[in-house]
This record gives sequence, structure tokens and C-alpha cells, in this order.
Amino acid sequence: MKTETDIKSQLREWISSASKKGGKVAISDDTPIIEQRIITSLQVMDLILYIEQLTDGSVDVESLKPGAFRDVNTIYKNFFEASNDN
Amino acid sequence: MSDMSAIVEKLCRASEREYYNPYESFVWPESLDMNEWYTSPQFISIYGTPEYDAISDGERRRLSFFEAVNFFSLNIHGEKALIEGLAKRLYAKDSRPVSAYLHHFLDEENKHMIYFGGFCTRYAGKIYPDRKVVFDREYAPGEEDFLFFAKVMIFEEIVDYYNVKMGVDEGLNAVTRQINMLHHRDEARHLVFGRKVVADLFEKFSPNWSAETLAGVRQYIESYLLTTWKEYYNPPVYKDAGLKDAYELQKSAMNHPSCRAHRAEVSKACLKFLCDHGILTSVPVL
Repeated sequence: MKTETDIKSQLREWISSASKKGGKVAISDDTPIIEQRIITSLQVMDLILYIEQLTDGSVDVESLKPGAFRDVNTIYKNFFEASNDN
Repeated sequence: MSDMSAIVEKLCRASEREYYNPYESFVWPESLDMNEWYTSPQFISIYGTPEYDAISDGERRRLSFFEAVNFFSLNIHGEKALIEGLAKRLYAKDSRPVSAYLHHFLDEENKHMIYFGGFCTRYAGKIYPDRKVVFDREYAPGEEDFLFFAKVMIFEEIVDYYNVKMGVDEGLNAVTRQINMLHHRDEARHLVFGRKVVADLFEKFSPNWSAETLAGVRQYIESYLLTTWKEYYNPPVYKDAGLKDAYELQKSAMNHPSCRAHRAEVSKACLKFLCDHGILTSVPVL
């Protein structure tokens, strides 16, 4: 099972590569990725697909609260923490 | 009578003539035969790739069923958002001249979801979920309306290309052929309306947008085109069809030259419209 460090590293790598800001954008775990337009609203769909791949599950978009994808820490907490704690 | 009024009048008369009851249009079989085709082979998302070539005829037919469920699911999600946006604009100040047709548009989109949802729930027990998330933001004057109708038009143009071909494909299961045919019959009118509205809104509002807004609109439209296409390459579909490495398969198919050529061909008319009207300045790679 992947550790929290591993998962957050993969998320940072994905977000950095997907960013249209040019080149590889360096982000930290609390960088507000939507607010700073590091990824766009349309790219969130790709991010959801990536989360589904990492969790081997599906994301219930209808139950998402505002800010669910705010930064890497928030993404980890919302989509990975529960299964990693078990 | 203005151009738009004449178009609205003509479309309303056609919708009234073609009015039908979706509950009486279909005879739903108790179950489906998985040895039939449910998506024409050339519209299966991985068609033309080595992975498609490697699977058996039976696996292709099984995949065609789940691809049909995905196609109908995408339509449901698109139509839900469309109905929400159209309802908001019904009798709004700027939309009053077209409200008579918006009633038909809303009615017909609801009917489409009845048979798309009917197929998916009866035979797959589910609809593949939507992954699109909407974020609130500020818009320049006219920008929100323009993007709403532009996205609808793009979505429907791609779908209609599939509907036209599959609606007459005698090799397909009869129910899916009928769904595609009926959908095209209504969508042909929606596309006439959509193209007129998109062209008019762009002509009216874009001259007053800043260079930054216009560049943002163009980038958004290009991204939306690609995002729409990505939904046709859905890993859970591959998993349900029993194919391995579903996420890698999705990436591989998206990047395969055959699939790129397919997307370019299907999108050609829509992209020509967008370029001819100055909405895009060049044809994007999809």
C-alpha cells in the first residue's frame, strides 16, 4: 500500500505536469491549485480520473463539497486518507 | 421578421409536427443478446488500435454494449446541464424572442433522457457517472451565454455525427439503432438553432471583449473540445468489458493516430463552423 508521502508526491507530479502554465510548475502540498489557475476547471475531470486510477475506485462528483480539490493536502484528505487509515 | 424569428418559427412548426410520445416509441426487450453489436465498430473508442485488433469478435461485441451505455450516459449528463441552462434562460429578458423554441428544446431533451436512461438502467443497471465539475466565476458581458450555447453546440455536433451513422446501421441491435435515429431527428433542429445562436452571440459580444477575455474564450473552447472527446474513452467501460489495464488503454487510445484521425473527422464540420465565424483562429489537435 502506498504511503501518504508517496500519494502526495504522485499528485504533485501529476498536477505539475498537467499545468498549462508552461514548463513544469513547482507546487507544494498547500498550493491552491484552482485558485492560482495551476489547473483549469476542465482539467479537474482528468484529475478525478487520475484519483480513480490511484484508488481503484470511483469519485462521486455529486457529493463533492466546494474546495474539494483546493490543494494536495485537501485532495489527499478527501480521497485517500480514509482507505489509508484502514 | 428577423433571421432568428424566422428560424424559431420554422423550428417550432417542425417540432410540433414531429411531436411524439417516448413511452410509446419503444418496445423494450426483456433482455439483450450480447452477441449483437450496440455501437458500430468504427465508433468503438479503441477501434483501429493494436489493442482492438488483439481482442476477439465476441469481446468487441461485448465492448460495443458498454460503449453504447457510455455514449448514452454522456448524453444524459450533457442534456441535464443543457436543460438547466435552457430553463434558466426561458423568458429571460434577452431570450424572449427564442422562448417559444426553448419550450420544444426542453421537451425534446427530456424525452431523450427518457430513452437513454431507459436503455442504461434496464440493461446495464447504471449510468456511467459524470466527472465534470463546474466552478463559479465572473464573466464578461455575453461571455457566459456564449460559452453555454457554444458548449451545447460542440457536444451535440459530435453526438449527432454518431447518431446519423448508427441510426441507419442495419448491423446494430434494433433498439440502439432506433435510439440513435430518434435522437438525430430532434437534434437536427437543435443544431440549426444552436449554430444560429452561437454565431449571433459571438458577433454581438466579442467585439467588446478584451484581448484577454477573447483569448480565454478560445482556449476554453479548445479545452472543452478535448475534454468532451476524453469522455468517450472511459476506463470503467474497458473494465466492464473485461479488458486489461483500463487506464493505460485509455491513454494509449487517446494518443493513437487512428483515434486522433477519427476525432478530427467527426469534429471537422463543427471546427469549420467555429473557424469560419472567427470563434477559433485555427483547427486544434484533438
